[in-house]
Parts: sequence; structure tokens; C-alpha cells
Amino acid sequence: MFWKRQIPIAIVALVGTLTLFGWFVDQPDIKSFVDDDATQWYDILASFAIFLGALNLLKLQMQKIIKRKKGWQYSIFAIGGFIFAFTVGFLMRGAYTVNINSAGETPQVVAQVVAGEIGGTIQASEVLLGLIEEDAPLMLEKVHFTGKSVNKVANQLKESGADAKIIPASWGAHLTTNGSFFNWMFFKVFTPLSATMFALLAFLVASAAYRAFRIRNFEATLLLGSGIIIMLGRVPIGSKISSWFVLYVIVLLLGVIVNSWKRNRILTFSTVGIGIILVTIAGIYMGWPIDRPAFAYLPKLQDWIYLVPNIAGARAIMIGIGLGVFATSIRYILGIEKSYIGE
Amino acid sequence: MKKLADLVIKLGNVDRRWIFIIIAIVVMYPLFKPLGLPIRPSESSQEVFNTIDALPQGSKVLLSCEYGPSTKPEIHPMAIGVLRHLFEKGHQVYVTCLWPDGQFMAREALEQVAENEYNLTYGEDYVLLGFRPGNEAVIKGIVSDIRKMYTIDSRAIPIADIPMMNGITNISDFDFLFSASAGYPGTVEWVQLAADPTGIPMSTGVTSIQVNEVMPYVDAGQIKGILAGMPGAAEYEKLIGKPGIGTSGMDAQSIAHVVIVLFIIFGNIAYYLERQRSKKTF
Repeated sequence: MFWKRQIPIAIVALVGTLTLFGWFVDQPDIKSFVDDDATQWYDILASFAIFLGALNLLKLQMQKIIKRKKGWQYSIFAIGGFIFAFTVGFLMRGAYTVNINSAGETPQVVAQVVAGEIGGTIQASEVLLGLIEEDAPLMLEKVHFTGKSVNKVANQLKESGADAKIIPASWGAHLTTNGSFFNWMFFKVFTPLSATMFALLAFLVASAAYRAFRIRNFEATLLLGSGIIIMLGRVPIGSKISSWFVLYVIVLLLGVIVNSWKRNRILTFSTVGIGIILVTIAGIYMGWPIDRPAFAYLPKLQDWIYLVPNIAGARAIMIGIGLGVFATSIRYILGIEKSYIGE
Repeated sequence: MKKLADLVIKLGNVDRRWIFIIIAIVVMYPLFKPLGLPIRPSESSQEVFNTIDALPQGSKVLLSCEYGPSTKPEIHPMAIGVLRHLFEKGHQVYVTCLWPDGQFMAREALEQVAENEYNLTYGEDYVLLGFRPGNEAVIKGIVSDIRKMYTIDSRAIPIADIPMMNGITNISDFDFLFSASAGYPGTVEWVQLAADPTGIPMSTGVTSIQVNEVMPYVDAGQIKGILAGMPGAAEYEKLIGKPGIGTSGMDAQSIAHVVIVLFIIFGNIAYYLERQRSKKTF
């Protein structure tokens, strides 16, 4: 119990206190611990966390398949995808190129092989072979996924009289080397899948907007109004909508409010009529500028929403989160919060 | 009138697949036939441009890529635009990534701009340091000692062998920081742990959905301007005078937004009529 309870609590309290005081105490050793050592510890732990996450994923998906839970067929793809990515990333270099150190005595024959490998004419390949120097070999840019494939090319070159050497991409760099297997997987499999999933949002948002974005009460109306202003004000088409059009819409909405409030036709028509006349007179007087009055111009209106109500709300949330984090941290340091040891 | 109301109510309950088809058509049409809608740079995009434009020639700029394929349409044009501006002004660019897929995005952007457009030399004009796991800890590491965090770059070249890394030990050796971010860890962590404590000027480009969260820092002057979503990317492209994918995407986004607004209005009319009818029934 001592090892499972008191020791972890003591470690958390000690490290938490040191890290916290690192911000307030000008002591080089503590600062060095907070800035360098603690962050490196975190890096190491984060790296192990990735392995734990991967093992957990495998465990959950395997359980789903074994117990034939709903949608277990998808788990086969999840595990298959994991094994494929793991193999390509950890076990295979997937990126081999060939360097030609010398074209030998039959450069014409070598040029034929080079032209077949990189494309282009045999004459162009001959020119490239002519540029080879002792410390500047010709690197064929085509990247091969497997050793078998690159061996075939290297053997062809050797048979034609060239001094060719296979160059594998170094571990780590093989992930991002242009044309490598992992790189191919990222751009040809992961990227389209990921982009497709995200693009579906546009359709879901449109469908949800049609069915769920309803004027049910005051708050919903406010949300709807600001949503429409932001959606139109943020895009170029918003700057094409005249502020006078927006003013006319405001007058009509005012009529709706008056009608729902007083239920009086004469009053509603008077409000709308007077509003339209006033807006029209103001328009004629001002010469109908598209962006005046600024408060009714959608791009300016959306700027205001972003800069005033949005910032006020965001700051309130941030301060709340900050206080919450502080309180939780103190609970950890003082040993009150023990959920991390299962209590 | 009753028939019209019936029709509106019926359309209000239309199968959602019809909505999907309409959205697909209105998004695709401007991509094939651009409308050329005017782009108006916002104040925050202008501030990003002004801040980068005012950097003295040869400045050392840290660019961090925290986005992946899903958010590529929004963030990638910003990264491209900012890189073009930086290289045009002759700055040295150091690229880090807090997201694993950010490294692929960064490499693609550097390949397009640094290699193909400006024909720059790796290790002298730009370097891709790559991804390191650890989120905030990586930022803390860069702030205190970048050489402990990065011993090799993304091409497995030792840091000591990269010419432009000479004299770079921590964040204070950089003149400017730009975070191209699509979430956590990203802009907020960079401003809290790097830009604000060290006083390094910083700008950012984020997804539209993140703007709310980041705006308080922009308003307080802790971040010098923000490129907000695809419109921000298009505005930056206009400011640097090089229209790209951000600009062409704005027509599609404009029309899609208008159609969604029309859907909302139409849906509400149908909802109102249905409610009136149900009130009469009871």
C-alpha cells in the first residue's frame, strides 16, 4: 500500500511544488529542472504514452472482433490499418535510391537503363552520366519501396557495366523522404480519407441548419441572427450585400416583433411603413453607399460580434478554466485529488 | 395560399439527401467556374502582413505547423502565403511541428515554395526541424534550449551540421514566430509558453472555429494579427499579391454560406407554418 499510495502522492506533491515554484523563485537549479529536466521527462513519458495508446487501441478492437460486437467488421479494418502503418513506419525503410559512381566502359548501355529508370531520352541520360565525377555520383531520383525492386535496377546497371550503389534512406528520414512508402501511405491513403471525413461536415452542417436551427425562443433567435451575420460577413459575398438591404430586413423584422407583441395590424403596418420611408429617405440623402451606415454593413457587423461579445465570452470562459486548473493543481499538490491512483 | 403552405411544410421535411446534393452542386460549381468575388483584407489579416513586412531583412523566423490533412484546405494556403512573404523578404525560416502530420504538411509547403518557387538552399535559407512528441513540453524545450529538444532535423541531419542553426540556442534567438494551427497544441500554447513570457512578436493563422478562442490574445496585443480560416488565407494571398488556393476556395465557401443561410430561413418558415397549423388543430 505504501508503494502504491504514499509514494505516488509524495512524488506528485514534490514535483508539483517544484514546478509551481519554478515560476516564482529565481533559483538556477529549480529553473533548470522546470525548463529542461521536467520537460524532457514529459517527452519520454509522452513517447511511452503513444505505445500505451496503440496497445489499448489494439486491445479494444480485438475484443470487439472476438466478442462479435456491433460493427466488429470495422475493427478488422482498424487493426489492419494499424498493422500496415506500423509495418511501413517501423519495420520497412520503404525508400531506396541508386547512386551511379561510374558509367564504366559502355555508357551507352548504362544510359538505356537510366532512361528506363528516370524517364526521358537515352541522349539526355548519357549527358547526365557524363557529369559524374569521383566525389559527385549521379543519384537516380526514383525512390523504390522495396529492396527487391531497387536490387533489380542496381543489378541491371551493374550488368551494363556501371558502378552502382544502393542508398537506403536513413531511419527517421524514411518517413518523410519524397516517394517513400510511408510518405505514399500518408498522401495517398491517410490524406484523402482524413479530408473526406472532414468535408462531410459541410453536408451535416447544412442538413442540421435546415432542420435544427429554429427560432424557438429569444436565445435561439440571438444565436441564429449572429450565426447568419458571421456566415455572410466572413465571406466575400457579404461585402457585396448593401447595408441598405440589411436595414430594410431589419425594418421587416421589427414589424414581425411588433406584430407578435401587440397583435395589431395597423400598428404593424405603420411600423414597417415608417421604417421603409425613413430608410429610403436616408438612402437618398446619403447616396446609397454600400458600406454606410457601418453598423448595418455585414463585414463590419461581424467584426463587431467577433471583437466585443465574442471576446467578452471567450475571456470569461478562459478565466473560469484558469481558476479551475489552479484549484485542481492545488488539490493534486496537497494530495486531496487522488483519482490518478484509482481512489 | 393553403397549397403554397402545404408545399413549404412538405419541403421543410424533405429528405436530407436532397440537401446534400444541393450543397455538393453549389460547392463544386464555383470551383469549376470561379465567380471572382472581391476579397477585402480584414484589419487582423492586415496586421499579420504589416508585422511580417516590417521585419528587418534576414530575420530568423520560427514557423510552427500544427495542422493535418483534415484542416489542410484552411491552414495550408496560409502557410504557403506566409512562406512566400518571408522568402520574398529574404528571411531565414525554421519550421517545427507539434503535430505528427504537421511535418508532412510543412514539407509539402516548403517543397512548393522554397524549392520550386524560390530555389532556396536547405540548411541555409530554411530548415524543417520536424515533429517532436510532448505538446507544451516541446514549446518549453524550444524556449529554454532548442538543441536539447532537436538533436537532428527531419532529414536526420545533426543540428550542429546545419549552417543556419549556428547561434540558435533558444526562442530568444528568433525575431518572429508564426503558428499555423488547427487546434491543440497550437496557437494558445505558443502564446502562453513562448511569445508572452519571452516577448517575441507572434502572429497566427487558425481555423475559423478556433478564432473565438484566440481573439482575446489578438485583442490584448499578445498576438500581432490573426488569419482567420480560409477567408484569412485568401486575404493574405491578396495582400501579398499572389492569389492561390485560398482565393479560389472563397467563391465556393461564399455560395455554400449563402445556401446554408437560405436553408435556415426556409426551414424556419416551414417550422412557423407547421406550428401555426398545429395550434389551429388543437
